[in-house]
Amino acid sequence: MTTAPQQTPVASAQQRLSPKMTVAHGMEIPLEFSSAEIEHKRKVNLGVCDVSCFPRFGVKGRNVVQWLQENKVDIPEPNSWVQQGESLVLRLGNGEFLVEDQFEGKLCAALDEAVMPEAYGVYKIRRNDAALMLSGSHVQELFSEICAIDLRDGALLPGKLVMTQMAGISATVLRQKFNGEDVFRIWCDGTYGSYLWDTLLEIAEESGGGAVGLSCYYKEML
Amino acid sequence: MSMRLPKQNGEWINRSKPVKFTFEGANFEGYEGDTISSALWAGNERILGRSFKYHRPRGVLSLANHDVNVMVTDTVDTNMRGDVVAVKAGMKLTAVNTEGGVRNDRSRYIDKMAKLLPVGFYYKAFHTPKSMFPFWENIIRKAAGLGVVNFEYPRILKRKTHRHCDLLIVGAGPTGLTAAIVAAKNGLEVVIVDENAQAGGSLTYDRAGSPEPLSQLQELMAEVARHSNITLMTGSYAAGYYTDHLVPIVRPDGIVKVRARAVIVASGVFEQPPVFRNNDLPGVMLGSAAQRLIYRYAVKPFNNGVVVTANAHGYRVALDLLQAGCKVSAVIDLRANGESGPLAAEVARKGVAVRKGSCIYEVLPQAGNMGVRGVQVCNYDEERAEADASSIETIECDGVAMCAGWAPAAALLYQAGTAMRYDNEVHQFVPNRLPEGVFAAGKVNGVYKLEDRMHDGARAVAEAMRHLGMDAPAVTVAAHAGAAPSHPYPVVPHPNAKNFVDFDEDLQVKDFINAAKEGFDNIELMKRFTTVGMGPSQGKHSNMNAIRILARIRGVAPEKIGTTTARPFFHPTPIGHLGGRSFHPHRVTAMHSWHKAAGAVLSEGGVWVRPAYYAKPGMSAQDIVQDEAMSVRTSAGMIDASTLGKIEICGPDASHFLERFYTGSYGSQKVGEIRFALLLDEAGVVVDDGVAARIADDKFYVSTNTANAAPVYREMQRWLQKWKLNVWLINVTGAYAAMNLAGPNACKILSKLTSDDISEKAFPASHFMEAKVAGVTARILRVNFVAEQAYEIHVPAPQARAVWEAIMEAGAQEGLRPFGTDAQRLLRLEMGNHLVSHDTDGLTNPFEIGAEWALRMGKPFFVGQRSLKIIAKRSVTKRLVPYMLDEGYSGEMPQECNLVINASGEIKGRVTSIAFSRSVGRVIGFAYVDPADVAPGSRFQIRADSGAMVNATVVKTPFIKSSNEGDQA
Repeated sequence: MTTAPQQTPVASAQQRLSPKMTVAHGMEIPLEFSSAEIEHKRKVNLGVCDVSCFPRFGVKGRNVVQWLQENKVDIPEPNSWVQQGESLVLRLGNGEFLVEDQFEGKLCAALDEAVMPEAYGVYKIRRNDAALMLSGSHVQELFSEICAIDLRDGALLPGKLVMTQMAGISATVLRQKFNGEDVFRIWCDGTYGSYLWDTLLEIAEESGGGAVGLSCYYKEML
Repeated sequence: MSMRLPKQNGEWINRSKPVKFTFEGANFEGYEGDTISSALWAGNERILGRSFKYHRPRGVLSLANHDVNVMVTDTVDTNMRGDVVAVKAGMKLTAVNTEGGVRNDRSRYIDKMAKLLPVGFYYKAFHTPKSMFPFWENIIRKAAGLGVVNFEYPRILKRKTHRHCDLLIVGAGPTGLTAAIVAAKNGLEVVIVDENAQAGGSLTYDRAGSPEPLSQLQELMAEVARHSNITLMTGSYAAGYYTDHLVPIVRPDGIVKVRARAVIVASGVFEQPPVFRNNDLPGVMLGSAAQRLIYRYAVKPFNNGVVVTANAHGYRVALDLLQAGCKVSAVIDLRANGESGPLAAEVARKGVAVRKGSCIYEVLPQAGNMGVRGVQVCNYDEERAEADASSIETIECDGVAMCAGWAPAAALLYQAGTAMRYDNEVHQFVPNRLPEGVFAAGKVNGVYKLEDRMHDGARAVAEAMRHLGMDAPAVTVAAHAGAAPSHPYPVVPHPNAKNFVDFDEDLQVKDFINAAKEGFDNIELMKRFTTVGMGPSQGKHSNMNAIRILARIRGVAPEKIGTTTARPFFHPTPIGHLGGRSFHPHRVTAMHSWHKAAGAVLSEGGVWVRPAYYAKPGMSAQDIVQDEAMSVRTSAGMIDASTLGKIEICGPDASHFLERFYTGSYGSQKVGEIRFALLLDEAGVVVDDGVAARIADDKFYVSTNTANAAPVYREMQRWLQKWKLNVWLINVTGAYAAMNLAGPNACKILSKLTSDDISEKAFPASHFMEAKVAGVTARILRVNFVAEQAYEIHVPAPQARAVWEAIMEAGAQEGLRPFGTDAQRLLRLEMGNHLVSHDTDGLTNPFEIGAEWALRMGKPFFVGQRSLKIIAKRSVTKRLVPYMLDEGYSGEMPQECNLVINASGEIKGRVTSIAFSRSVGRVIGFAYVDPADVAPGSRFQIRADSGAMVNATVVKTPFIKSSNEGDQA
C-alpha cells in the first residue's frame, strides 16, 4: 500500500527548480526555492507561490445553499466569496461552491464528513486545483499580459471573484488579505498547473520576481 | 548643400545628438528625433525610393506614415517606412524594390513601357499559350511584393497587454487633447493615443507662419500633464475597432488591447493630393508634408517652390514656406474665386503671386525624373475639370506643395459600424450615425476651424459622459462656414497621363476610366480591378480621389459611390506584434515527471502532452512501439489514460439525460455496468465515443475521447439548458488521473494491490467497481479497448503517481512496461476498434462505420436521431471495413489517406488506419470501401503514394482473434 504524500499538480514544472519540499495537509509542496533574502526580493516584485496543498471542498446541486447553511457555512452572493474563519467560501455560480481551508481551517473536513441527504440533490465535486498565490508591485503588469479582465483594485472589488481566461486557460481569481498581506489567488485545473506556473514565472522573472515557497508567507514553517 | 534649417521652435530633433548612417552606400548625418526621410531630405537626398510598378523615383509625399514608396531595409528588417521610422546611428539603409540601387534602378525601363501595361493587363494576358504560363508566372511573382523576408529575423518579444479605461481618445491633436482634458476634469480615466512621435497633431506643423499654434499646444500639454488620470501614448496607433470598444494599440514594444467604456475618434484627416501630370516626382509633396519637414524636423522642403491649392490651407502652407526661408514663386489656386480674407491678404502682402482659376498642367522633370525643374501652369475650369493648354506658362521651381483637400481618417469609425454621409459643405465624408459609445470629433467629424475643433472635442466628451450615465452640459458646435476645405474634383487631365491617383500602385486617371469602360464601375469592383487602395497605405491618399473620379465618370454624387471597407489593421503590423508571447496552453498528467524520467518521447494530443513511446537506446521508434504492443499481448503493459475526458452526470434525471444525449440505452443500465456511449451531432455525424459507467442510481461516470472532453462537456451543458432536466454535470477530467493496465497478466498484477476480487468471473468486462488500489480509492472500469483483459484505473490526480509507481513495481516480475499512444493505436487496431476523428471525419454517420448496433432508434429522442432517420432511407456510399494486406507483402507501404480505387479507376474510399502488427504478422488497418465490397474475403485495391496498386482483403475483427483462428482471409 502506498504511503506516499499527494503530489501538487505543479510538481512537474517545479522539479527543474529543485525546491526544498515539505508536506502540508498530506501534499508535498515547495517550502523554499531559494534563500529567504532572494525570495523576499522576488515577493516584493512579483512572487508566485504554490498553495495547492490547501484542502478544498467542491459541491454543487439544486439545494446546495440550504445544505451549506445547515452546515453553518456563510453563503456569499454568486461570483463572490467570503472568509469564514480560516476558510474561504467561493460561490462559483448559483448552485456551485468551492471551499478552501487555509492552514488552520477545518471547514472542508467537516463538510466532507457531513451527511448529504439524497433528496437534497447535492453533489460533491472532486477537485484537483493548481492553487497559486501572487503578490508584489508588478502583479498588475503580469495580469495585463495574461488576462483581458480588469483586475485592478477599483475593478476587482473586495469579496468579488472573477472566473476568466488567464494565458488562454480557465481560471478563478480573487484578491484577499493573507497573513496580513495583499495577495491575489488563482485557481485552475491542475492539469494546466504546470503550464500556468511556467508562464507566470517567465513573466515574473522579467520583472525581478519568481517562484517563492510557502515559507515566504509562513515563517513558522521554517 | 544641407537643407537643415536653423532651430525651429518646437522642433522634434535633438541637435545635441547627431546620428550618422548610410543610405545606398552614401554617408548621411541626422539628429536624434529625425525620421529616415527627414534626415535624408536634410542631406539634400531627393531620391528616397522607387515606385512599385513603374519604378519611378519618389521622395517625400506625406511624411505622415503613408509614404509607401519610401520603404527601406537595414538588412535585418524590411519595408521600414522612411517617413516615420526614427533614424539610428550606424544604420546601413537601402531602398527596397530596386534592382541595382535607387538611382540606377535597372527596372526603371518599365516606366517607358507604361502604355503596354494598362491596369488589369495581367488578368488578360499570359493565358495563352498555356505552356508559357509558368514562365510569365515566374516573372510576375518576382515583380510582386515589396522587400525581402529575412528568415533569420531575431525573435524579439513584443508583449500583448490589456488596458482598461473609461474613455479612449484616438488622436492627440488639439481636438483629442482638449477632449482628454475635459474628460479628466470630470473624473474619467482617459487613455489618449497618437501615432506620431509627439502629441499635438496639426499644432505641431500647421502654423501659417505664426508662433500662436505652438503656444496653444504648450498650454494644452501643460494641462494634460496636470492630470494623473490621463495616459498619453505617442508613437502608438489605434489599429482597429472591435466589439465592445476593444481597440488594439500598436506600439513599438508591443500591442496594448484597450477596452474602453467609450471611444472618441479624433483621428483627423489625411491630406489628399491633387491629380496632375508628374505629381509624383521627388520634390512634389503635400503641403502638410512640407510643414512637417519645416517645423518638426527643421528641414527646408525645397528652395524655390510653388503651392498648388484649392483651399485656405495652401495659403497657410505658403506662409510657412516663406517663414522657413523658401521662395514661393506662385500660389496656384484651382478655384476661380481663389481665397479671400486675412490669409490671402498676408500672402499677397508678402509678395507672392496668386493665380486663381489655374492648375498645374504638368510638372517638368529633371533628367531621369529625379526631381522638379519647373511647372507648367494654365487656366483651369474647375466645374468641368478642364485645363486650357493654350494658356500654359512655365514657372521654374524645384518643388511643389499640394493642398487640394482632405479625407477623414475614419477607418475605426467604419469598423465600429458608423454610417457616413458625404457633406457638401466640407466636401468630405462625415459620420452620420455613430454606434453606441463611439463618438467622433474634429476634422474627422467635418469640423475644421481650430477653436471649433477644440469645442467639438468637449462636445464629444459631454456625449460620452452621458453615455456613461453621467450628467454633462449640452455643448453645441458651430456649423462649418465659408469655403470647403476640400475641392470636389481636383483632377487635371493630361493626354500623356502620369497624373497619379494612387502612389502605392502607380494608378493614373486613365486607369479608372478604362476600368469603368470595362464595366468595373462599382467602387468595390473598381478597387479589385485597378487595385486602388490595395497597396500598403490602403488608399489613405487615393481612395477619395478614386471615388471622385468614379462619381464623375458615372455622373453621380460621391455619396452614391460609397466607400470601400476599411479593415483592421490601420497600418501594416509586424507578425511579431501579433504573435506576442506565444501562449501555448497544454495539459500534463500527474505522471508527467515519471514519463520524462522513463525516457518518454512526448507528443501532443488535443491540448494534452503525453508519451508517444518510451525511448530505448539503440532501438528505432518503430521497433519500440512493436515491443510495447507485444508486451501487452504477451504479459502486461500500462498506459497513462488520464487524458480521457471524464464527466459525472448526477441527479434524478441522469439516465434520462444520457438517453437523450447518446444513441444508446441507459435507463435500464444497472449500477456497476458500463455501456458504450456514441455521440452524434444534430446532423447525425459521429463526433465522439466513450463509455458510461453507472456508479449509482443517480450518477453516471462518462468518458470521452482525449480531444473531446471540453467539447462534449460544453455540448452537455448546452443540451441541459434546453432540456431543463434535474441533472448536474461535473467535469472531473483533470481531477481524476487514469491508467490502463492491459494484457494477460493485468489481473494478476492488479490483484497484488487490491483486496477486492477483480477476477474475470467476479468482475467481467463492461463492468465498473470502486476498490482500493495501493490504498487509494479507485474507480476501475473493465474496458477492452486495447486488450481482452484490461483495467482502467481512475484515481484522484494528486495520488495518481503513487498508484502508478505501485503498479509498475507490482508488475516488475511479470515484465510490466509502460506503453505510449503509438502502441495504443496499434493495439486498438488489433482489437478492431476504430477511433472517432481518426477513422471518421466531419461527415461520417454511424451506418458508414457499422455502428448500427449502437443505435436505439426506437427511443423517443436522441441527438441526431431525426437526421439518421432521413439518412437511413438513402443507401450508404462507403463503408469502413477492417482489412489486411497479403501475407508476406513487402512492397510500398500504403499510407493513411491513400485512396481505395476500383477496377474502373474510380475512387471508392480511403485508408484511415494502417500498421504492421507483429502479433498478427500482417499489415492491418481500416479503410472505407464500396458498400458492395464489405463481406469478409472481398478484395480491393489501395493506390499508394507512388501510384502503385496494393491488394487488400476485407477481414473480420478482432484481428488478433482472427489471426489465432487462422480464418482472417
